[in-house]
Amino acid sequence: MTPTVSASGLSLRYGGTHALDDVSLRLTQGVTGLLGPNGAGKTTLLRVLATAVPADRGAFTAFGHDPATAAGRQEVRRRLGYLPQTPGFHPDFTAFEFVDYVAVLKELTDRGARHREVRRVLDEVDLGDVRGKRIKKLSGGMRQRVALAAALVGDPGFLVLDEPTVGLDPEQRMRFRELIAQAGEGRTVLLSTHQTEDVAMLCHRVLVMAGGRIRFDGTPPELTARAAGRVWSSTERDPGAKAGWRTGTGSFRNVGDPPDGADLLEPTLEDGYLLTLDGAEVAA
Amino acid sequence: MTRELVLAVWRALPWRAPAAGGILGLLIAGATRLSEGEPDPWLGLALLRTAALAYALGLAFLLDDPARHTTAAVPTRRALRTGLRLALVTPVTALWWTAVLFLVPSDMRPPAADVTLEAAAACTVTLAAAVAAIRLTDEPQPGPSVAAALLFTAVVAPLLLPHRWELIAWVGDPRWAAAHERWAWLLAGAVVALAAGLPEPVRRFQPVRRPRTRPQADGGLGA
Amino acid sequence: MSTVLQEAPTAQRTNRTGGAWAAVYALALFEARRLLTRIPMLLALAAYLAWIVWRTPGFEDGSPALQDADRNTQSGPLLIGLAVLLCANAAVLRSKRRDTERHFAVLVLEPWRRTAAHLLSVVPAALLAAVCVAGQFGWAALQSGSVGSGSPAELMVGPLTVLLSGAAGVLIARLIPSTLTAPMAIVLLFFFLLFFAGTVPAGDGERGLRWLVPVVTESTTNALPSDLIGRPAAWHALYLAGLALTLALLAVLAGGGRAWTLWGAVAGALALALTGGIAQTAALPATLTAARERATHTPEKDQTCVRRGGSTYCAFPEWTPRTDTWAGAVDHIKSLAGGTAHDRQFLVRQRIDATYGLAGDAAIETSTTPYQVTVGTAWGGNRVPEFSAAVAAVLVAGSEQKTNALCDGRMVTVMWLALSWQPDPMQSLRNVRLDDSVTGSAIVLSTTDPMQMTAGQTDVVRELLQKPHGSVAARVKAHWAELTAPKVTSAQAAELLGVAAPKGADKCGE
Repeated sequence: MTPTVSASGLSLRYGGTHALDDVSLRLTQGVTGLLGPNGAGKTTLLRVLATAVPADRGAFTAFGHDPATAAGRQEVRRRLGYLPQTPGFHPDFTAFEFVDYVAVLKELTDRGARHREVRRVLDEVDLGDVRGKRIKKLSGGMRQRVALAAALVGDPGFLVLDEPTVGLDPEQRMRFRELIAQAGEGRTVLLSTHQTEDVAMLCHRVLVMAGGRIRFDGTPPELTARAAGRVWSSTERDPGAKAGWRTGTGSFRNVGDPPDGADLLEPTLEDGYLLTLDGAEVAA
Repeated sequence: MTRELVLAVWRALPWRAPAAGGILGLLIAGATRLSEGEPDPWLGLALLRTAALAYALGLAFLLDDPARHTTAAVPTRRALRTGLRLALVTPVTALWWTAVLFLVPSDMRPPAADVTLEAAAACTVTLAAAVAAIRLTDEPQPGPSVAAALLFTAVVAPLLLPHRWELIAWVGDPRWAAAHERWAWLLAGAVVALAAGLPEPVRRFQPVRRPRTRPQADGGLGA
Repeated sequence: MSTVLQEAPTAQRTNRTGGAWAAVYALALFEARRLLTRIPMLLALAAYLAWIVWRTPGFEDGSPALQDADRNTQSGPLLIGLAVLLCANAAVLRSKRRDTERHFAVLVLEPWRRTAAHLLSVVPAALLAAVCVAGQFGWAALQSGSVGSGSPAELMVGPLTVLLSGAAGVLIARLIPSTLTAPMAIVLLFFFLLFFAGTVPAGDGERGLRWLVPVVTESTTNALPSDLIGRPAAWHALYLAGLALTLALLAVLAGGGRAWTLWGAVAGALALALTGGIAQTAALPATLTAARERATHTPEKDQTCVRRGGSTYCAFPEWTPRTDTWAGAVDHIKSLAGGTAHDRQFLVRQRIDATYGLAGDAAIETSTTPYQVTVGTAWGGNRVPEFSAAVAAVLVAGSEQKTNALCDGRMVTVMWLALSWQPDPMQSLRNVRLDDSVTGSAIVLSTTDPMQMTAGQTDVVRELLQKPHGSVAARVKAHWAELTAPKVTSAQAAELLGVAAPKGADKCGE
């Protein structure tokens, strides 16, 4: 499958730190998850791919257009939907007005068609009945959904979502997953999250980032398989484990190199993720 | 550029700050009619300048956009959106300034063209500073910083500028014409800075340019 | 899997070290550090220091009267005050701008205590201003020509203005939590200052409503003895302190403080401000007016006199250190004179016009006493050749009143005596003439009434100053009697001194 987004050698420095260090990737249709600890560079990568900030070095193309030129950037943005990490709003706007405003900025000029599109997208995120409410009166989860609607409006081919499920209760998160899974059909979605269950359920590919670099690029089963035979349970904390924590039942779950005769457990995506992070210790 | 875009930008324009500045300016100019005794052209000029400063402080907040990051990746160019904001506020400013000029009684009014030049330069410098703040920082609402910088400059510049570059002259002063020539240069420079800062930069400013790599045809992965 | 019932652990009180006020001080320190490193503060500080370094050495020509130098320290801190107002305002509004107020409002430290911390964070900036004020005043005091004494109350006005500005910034932020308010409030302040400066009469000129603004400047540059100045500096300092405290306590009230002690403190601070504010606008006491009359018309009652080299120098007590400098000038001029003038005994009396205090700018009348020279309170710069001219004129004419008649060739002698001993005679010639020229006719300034030079006399003096000093001095001494005879013409004087005759007649000869 030809990649819709292809990046090579992206680097970006903020002061002395390499927020992105020689990142290369290819994205195809479907949902790709981006996992990583805080400070790994996930948000920076998403901002670069969303053309919100240009990289210092390296290049990427989306749908064949190169955003290093102004014209190319316009073309990329016409096919892009972006949900930033802390979305800001005009608090006096209603939900409908705000998504309509973003739709105008996305060059949807025909008023009738645009309003239909805005209504469609607000219904899709389950905000159909609070369309006319002012954003400052909406709850945090509803505001998050307004921002998602703003990203979805105009039916973009490439969706960049930065921690979209923050602030949502489990029921809303389930609904979101459904939305994103639907959006992933026929679109390229890049989704950054801390929730490994989201990745396990949604993504056909996962990238793990740490320290500005991509540490893993593959499918979720491959990431889980990394932890095969390397997860075990014990009654006491095991000092030889890379990471270990106390479970609700009182026993300890450990990830790393198991001692002989250890009680091995079925690995999850999270275990694979933890093993991929270099030297990251998880305190119990 | 369509009617829809103009309407959308108009709807998102932060009108409270320029309105507050405008109202304060009108009140200050109106106070000239309250002064008793001899009409004092010095007072007329001083209050006109204060009114212009009040309005310019309001304009400092014109480019504030709380949804800046949410609308970061839209195809409508930043230069177009900012330019539309500026274009929408210009006729309102012209109307306001006309009202302010007419509020000052004619025997207290300084030469209208010269003081209009001063007001235009002050407003343009403020807007150029706001545009620069948007271009150089990530701050969605740079208004308070721009307003503080403008206020500071307005207080300090008349004190620190050497005599050869003096901008604040008073009516009847032989340096009036020379000072206003400098105002004209200031306005021209501010317009250039404004125009240069409007577009969104495509590349980051780098002191040392490194060779760019192109994505390989077979999409090879980097480390 | 086993569930074991455990006893609920007893609640442990976390050890709050120090309590609420320690937290307030810690927060104040944190905010103060941020305040002092913000860009407007740094710029204001840089500009203030540059102003001090640029203005202080040349203040009053290097011989400052300290009762003027203390007033001179007051305008610089206004810049710091502006920066403090804007930055303190922004600091209080920070939690509203960044949407952290929803969190901070429910923390242990109540909003009114946080307001108090913001108010306290302004104090280090005021202390910094105080250090700069002390530095500027100390520099002026250390200059070799400084005389007089400064007033601590005047020196306190600068730092108190910074405190007042900070309190105002915090109060504005608490009352109207919008980032637009502080700049607009400053513009409104400009408006009031301009409007009331232009329209409302200023009371009786010296007191009155003008004392309501923090920094009250005087338009004159004449120094007066400290006890005749009549500025209500101490009341003004009390007024500023009371006003700053009132605004600060009102800000705490606006931030939610409700203790009855707070209301009492507000009342007390307001009382202080009102006391100072009203007392400072009171009319001048009669004793001061009488003292000023005495100093103006009969200065001998207040002055101390010393004898130096045959002449007597009478000065107001604060100026007695300068008598040596005056004596130096007088001795130089006397040494250049010939005949009996060489041993003439002068009375150099310091005279002022204090009738209107610092608001007055009247010229001093010439004295009629023979061989009495008037000297003012200023020195350095142009004052030196002016005093020289007065001494030389009195030496030649006999008394200050008779110097009006010096329109003939004696002017040449007078000007040469006055200027030739100076380090740069041509520059001094420029300085002593009203139009700063060295050609053509001009008015010559002296300590009392000015004198006149014709174009011809100017040419002769200029040539004399360019000739070697010793030869001209010998000729002056040799021909002293002819040069100082009344009705001698400039042409004759030129001939006697060996320079070309001037074109054009003297004024008297017309």
